[in-house]
Amino acid sequence: MSDRLTHGEWSDAVESGELLGQTCSDCGKTQGTPKAACPHCGSRALETVELPTEGVVYTETTINVPPVGVEERGYQVAVVDLGEARVMGRLSDGEVGIGDTVEVSGFTEDDDGYVAPAFEPR
Amino acid sequence: MARAAVVGAGMTKFGVHDKPLQELFGEAALPALDDAGVEPSEIDAFYFGNAMSGQAENDTHLGPKLASHVGMAGVPVQRFEDACATSSNAFKNAVEAVDAGIHDVVLVGGVERCTPETGQDTAAMTRIFASASHRQYEQPTGLTFPGVFALFTKRHMHEYGTTEEQLAEVAVKNHGNGALNPNAHFGKETTVEEALDGPIVADPFRLMDCCPFSDGASAVVVVSDELADSYDAPVDVSGVGHATDVVPIGDKDTPHVTQAARDAAAQAYEQADTSAAEMDFAEVHDCFTGAEILASEALGLVEDGEGGPAAEAGRTARDGDVPINPSGGLKAKGHPIGATGTAQLVELTEQLRGTAGERQIDGADSAVAHNLGGDAATTVVTVMEVRQ
Ligand SMILES: [Zn+2]
Repeated sequence: MSDRLTHGEWSDAVESGELLGQTCSDCGKTQGTPKAACPHCGSRALETVELPTEGVVYTETTINVPPVGVEERGYQVAVVDLGEARVMGRLSDGEVGIGDTVEVSGFTEDDDGYVAPAFEPR
Repeated sequence: MARAAVVGAGMTKFGVHDKPLQELFGEAALPALDDAGVEPSEIDAFYFGNAMSGQAENDTHLGPKLASHVGMAGVPVQRFEDACATSSNAFKNAVEAVDAGIHDVVLVGGVERCTPETGQDTAAMTRIFASASHRQYEQPTGLTFPGVFALFTKRHMHEYGTTEEQLAEVAVKNHGNGALNPNAHFGKETTVEEALDGPIVADPFRLMDCCPFSDGASAVVVVSDELADSYDAPVDVSGVGHATDVVPIGDKDTPHVTQAARDAAAQAYEQADTSAAEMDFAEVHDCFTGAEILASEALGLVEDGEGGPAAEAGRTARDGDVPINPSGGLKAKGHPIGATGTAQLVELTEQLRGTAGERQIDGADSAVAHNLGGDAATTVVTVMEVRQ
């Protein structure tokens, strides 16, 4: 029985406004999404860690041509740098740029029930 | 000694093709066989690429269907799916097979139909394309493929000062090249002003920064080095590198460096005992203008951060010191996903034979192709050279 972080647990955390990641006990790297082994060194010694819910926008874009299933246009997607890891999410206020500080403000959910964190300017 | 040689090449015009996949593929495969002067019975195996016909038109298990259509029922067929790097992955495996002596003569190719005219509408294809990004950790944000490359490009702009005008210069160059390519989807030139005036798809990309949805097919005949001289116009495959990167984007160390491309290029140059400086031109995966700038740096054709200025200064034009995408690239030639990788190799073959017509790069002896898939998670880099 493994206590390695799963997608289900990661999603539950996102829905409660928290961000979970994994830190590799062997190489020390932290990642923002769950895996069965460290993508950098292959180690299975991955410790579930709580990531900060505040970070800095690493990069972002505003999408005007959405895929089918997304009704809105002009929504902003960002990769947010949380310090030891980065995570992709939605920005709820469309006026945010690289370098701006943001914090978790909720989450978005797609047609299949998959969730992503949402951030707003701090 | 080369790893293999391309002895025949064929492709359809990229654009709108209202015909089934097998008929479309036949229009690339039969010319490739004729170009090589080989009969279907001489083909030992078929390496085939198609990325999304299952999703787009409920058509799968295409290998034997296509083989049957082009007169080679019975040969072993393997199908590859690696998003936009699909058929170059097929090519890599074909080269490895003849290099290892497993086969002597193989057919490699790809086919795909992506246009709204012949299939799904833009919103549906945008979702199907997005299936190549991470289902749980990228797609739920509403990320699209223009969005993926917009994220990379905006960070590059932040780090190096790359401008929207420099992106537009890539579109202008590639449309100009495409206007000289009879197989290009777009045969019309554009201007920086026109490009900067287009509607925004995913900022910084406007419509003219984005490749089109295309239908098309491409194919090459690959033979072993020992057999190459018995064909009329062999072109050497000197190196094929292939690497992957961490998915999703949030977990990549430095997303805009497109590390898989750098790793694949290093492999390809090493196999070929050559370097970026020796390349007379490159065909790179410019699904978006920013992607060409990232690729020009990842392949070592220009220094990191110099991709934008190089495009602006005309260094990547056909008469520049590092010509990129003389075919028009994905931007103007078009991007039928599974056909794109081998179509780049068709261009390398024609240019290195000196038969590329109006868009010929004079005296081209060595060239590199860069075909990228997914959120830059797969890249195949191929070096081809005039046979000595
Ligand atoms: Zn590790």
